[in-house]
Amino acid sequence: LFKVATECSVVLCCRVAPLQKAGIVALIKNRTDDMTLAIGDGANDVSMIQMADVGVGINGQEGGQAVMASDFSMGQFRFLVPLLLVHGHWNYQRMGYMILYNFYKNATFVLVLFWYVLYTSFTLTTAITEWSSLLYTVLYTSLPTIVVGILDKDLSKSTLLAYPKLYGSGQRNEKYNLNLFVLNMLEALWQSLVVFYIPYFAYRQSTIGMSSLGDLWALASVIVVNMQLAMDIIRWNWIIHVFVWGTIAATVICLFVIDSIWVLPGYGAIYHIMGQGLFWLLLLIIVVTAMVPHFAIKAFSEHFVPSDIQIGREIEKFEALNQVNHSEIPMRTFS
Amino acid sequence: HSCPMVLRIAELTSFGAGASASTHQPNSKFTQQELPACKPILTPKWVISVFLLVGVIFVPIGVASLLASNKVVEIVDRYDDACVPSNVTNKLAYIQNSTISKTCRRTLKVPKDMKQPIFVYYQLNNFYQNHRRYVKSRNDQQLRDASKANETTLCDPEKTRDGMAIVPCGLIAWSTFNDTYTFQHNTNNLSIDKTDISWKSDRDHKFGSDVFPKNFQKGPLIGGKTLNESIPLSEQEDLIVWMRTAALPTFRKLYGRIYVDLKENDTITVTLDNNYNTYSFDGKKSLVLSTSTWLGGKNDFLGLAYLTVGGLCFFLAFAFTLLYLIKPRKLGDNNYLSWNRNSAGH
Repeated sequence: LFKVATECSVVLCCRVAPLQKAGIVALIKNRTDDMTLAIGDGANDVSMIQMADVGVGINGQEGGQAVMASDFSMGQFRFLVPLLLVHGHWNYQRMGYMILYNFYKNATFVLVLFWYVLYTSFTLTTAITEWSSLLYTVLYTSLPTIVVGILDKDLSKSTLLAYPKLYGSGQRNEKYNLNLFVLNMLEALWQSLVVFYIPYFAYRQSTIGMSSLGDLWALASVIVVNMQLAMDIIRWNWIIHVFVWGTIAATVICLFVIDSIWVLPGYGAIYHIMGQGLFWLLLLIIVVTAMVPHFAIKAFSEHFVPSDIQIGREIEKFEALNQVNHSEIPMRTFS
Repeated sequence: HSCPMVLRIAELTSFGAGASASTHQPNSKFTQQELPACKPILTPKWVISVFLLVGVIFVPIGVASLLASNKVVEIVDRYDDACVPSNVTNKLAYIQNSTISKTCRRTLKVPKDMKQPIFVYYQLNNFYQNHRRYVKSRNDQQLRDASKANETTLCDPEKTRDGMAIVPCGLIAWSTFNDTYTFQHNTNNLSIDKTDISWKSDRDHKFGSDVFPKNFQKGPLIGGKTLNESIPLSEQEDLIVWMRTAALPTFRKLYGRIYVDLKENDTITVTLDNNYNTYSFDGKKSLVLSTSTWLGGKNDFLGLAYLTVGGLCFFLAFAFTLLYLIKPRKLGDNNYLSWNRNSAGH
């Protein structure tokens, strides 16, 4: 039964009892890796809705039981289309990117701290002040992540509805897979090496103090990680601008505040090092060198091996979308 | 029983209303995610321009940095091996024996003209001032506030001696560098300015002007410099400089400045006291005289790094230009969508 069902593109079941409805969903769910969605409007659909991975209930003529048992509820069946094609797609893209990005940004920071351990005779001294290490996840890099995870979208609603096959990018795991994770980790490795070693070689036999060098490493890490996010943001609205650039500004302010507390060992360090031309030149070269691979890979893959999403973005930008102005897909009626 | 949902999709007809039918929330641009936004895309023009721009900015900076570094004149003289008399086999015992005179004479030759101010540094190799236990071994409250003289937490093992607190406590202060240098320039005495070698912020706010050393270096093991008990900490500049712990195991610290121009081939005679014990851990000591520029001391690395990255970006600009010419692609063309591509046989 399962084999026959999976060979077909559509299967119709009639005169089915509620438990059998649930059984059909369970059949697919248990035997494959696929995500299952069940949509229904009546009390007899409740067991099916609860069995599926995603349950959608219709608030309609047959009462509210289906709605109460479901993950999403809507007014009409046709709303399923934007739910999947638009919101489902956006959620997939955002979640996939955010998870990968969070691993990357924490890995970058921790690796910078790790390389330093090699030069402190393996004692766990952190050049970056403890306050900055704490604030890294809490303040320096959290808000842009949240805002981008909420607001960024790769394609507009009309494009996604005009080309329903774009939904396939989620089904093919294009935004969240092992290759992307490995690539992210390699980028974290490269960027941490750049952030650590460029100042190391520049200051190797100098009078630099631990707190001053730590400030440079902290600021460089934050800027690099936020620039990486900035390069991947697809849609820049004013809120995203404020949070990305504002976070970098907030980091600088925090560094100044931390280094103005006399009890801490880093007292005065940021004022001292920012007065040196070497500091600014190092910051510039660190940020650019760290971003060159990401930029080159992005430029290459987006142009020479474009994904459907990329083509969709270009269509939005360069060609007038002349067909779909309403959020429906015209259906062929059965003759 | 009505047939389940699979059939109902065929019943969809096009109504006019949009998918967002919520009547409770105001349909603002924010909640509908329709905020105006710019959507940058990496076109070939942008890619090549960015790489070219980076190259054009970085190469001159690299050249300027290399020129600045070449202008710096630096004399580095390692003396810890040469300043131990050749008949001594146990260097550790020699250095710890306080009865032997440790005076040593070194001769330096000036390779190029050096304009004042000339900075005098001592350089230590293989000295881990960034060791975790060492870095923590200080008490900043005690350093600044005379009333907090008994605050010695974290200063182990240099906290108290004979029941009385050590001021300044901790391993960092205990191990202050204590080699001294005096200079002679072509048989004239060369004065060295040892004021203002530490940060002003440290002198004013971190080290108290009413805190005096007490009970310091009175133990059996002397780690470094002994401090004059009548000079307050805010004026003990060698101590202040030393307590700014260095980031890396090879570091320099400012000893003083010379405000005299030195000419090429001049001879500088250094009379130094080889007191500091670096022999128990294979450390090295060197004396450095150096001029400085806007970039700091001698460091070719920055210039080379900028030139490398600038050159790399030029290369990438060139490579991408070639690629774009070999394999051009019209942007936003429907035909590249995967389902169109497969069916059209691209």
